[in-house]
Amino acid sequence: MSFLAFFFIVLSLLSFVAAQLILKRAMEFSATNGLRNSRFVSLAAIGVALMTVSFFLTLGLLQRFDLSYLYPFQGLSVIFITLMAAVVLKEKLSARLAIGALLISAGIVLVSMS
Amino acid sequence: MTDDRRNKKTQNRPSGFGNPWLQLGLSVVCVLVSEFLLKRGATDIAEPDSAFSWTGINGLASPLVWWAILLIVASFVSWLYVLRYIPLTVAFPLSRVVDILVPLGCWIFLGELISALRWCGIALVIIGLALVAKPVAQIEERL
Repeated sequence: MSFLAFFFIVLSLLSFVAAQLILKRAMEFSATNGLRNSRFVSLAAIGVALMTVSFFLTLGLLQRFDLSYLYPFQGLSVIFITLMAAVVLKEKLSARLAIGALLISAGIVLVSMS
Repeated sequence: MTDDRRNKKTQNRPSGFGNPWLQLGLSVVCVLVSEFLLKRGATDIAEPDSAFSWTGINGLASPLVWWAILLIVASFVSWLYVLRYIPLTVAFPLSRVVDILVPLGCWIFLGELISALRWCGIALVIIGLALVAKPVAQIEERL
């Protein structure tokens, strides 16, 4: 894998993880404050923008690599998002949830390696 | 977020089409179909020699990619709705059920072979999903 490929894979993963965290925060905020306020709109807009960046980077990667090669990296997003949701959003992360997320990621990696 | 607020939100959870678990399922199905469309579309118009194609924007030339985008937007709306009711630590791992549905779809509909190692991976994902889903089922029962 070239440095360029690695760079774009990491970038698409990071933008995806950040987008999920920001969108979750936006939707939580909207549950108590409604949809018509500048904080919700700006959070949602940043989230959507990051999702769009991640989408096009993935499309660029799909033109170069097999889906099965790119999938393990998507699998890693389960671990990243679960961890970051616990750290940044202060969600409760039980040992059970953590082990579940690890197994799902490991399974996805195995599926795409085979 | 305090437990009080969390409980209150859970009690206000709508049923029927507004049920967040149903929406999570819908979101997963849309993503599943869009993955196939995207790979087909991206392969159709692949230009690996052009540096510009790293951005993926040339993918818009494929009608399949546009159909995929439509499905992604639909799944995104469902997903936002899910985020409103279900913690990310639970919803996101569950949404990755799509990662085993894709190879299973290839096996069932395209007649592709699944190796022993791949079956092991699928089994791991299912065990992981069960671990994440079980506490959720218990929470729902208590309501």
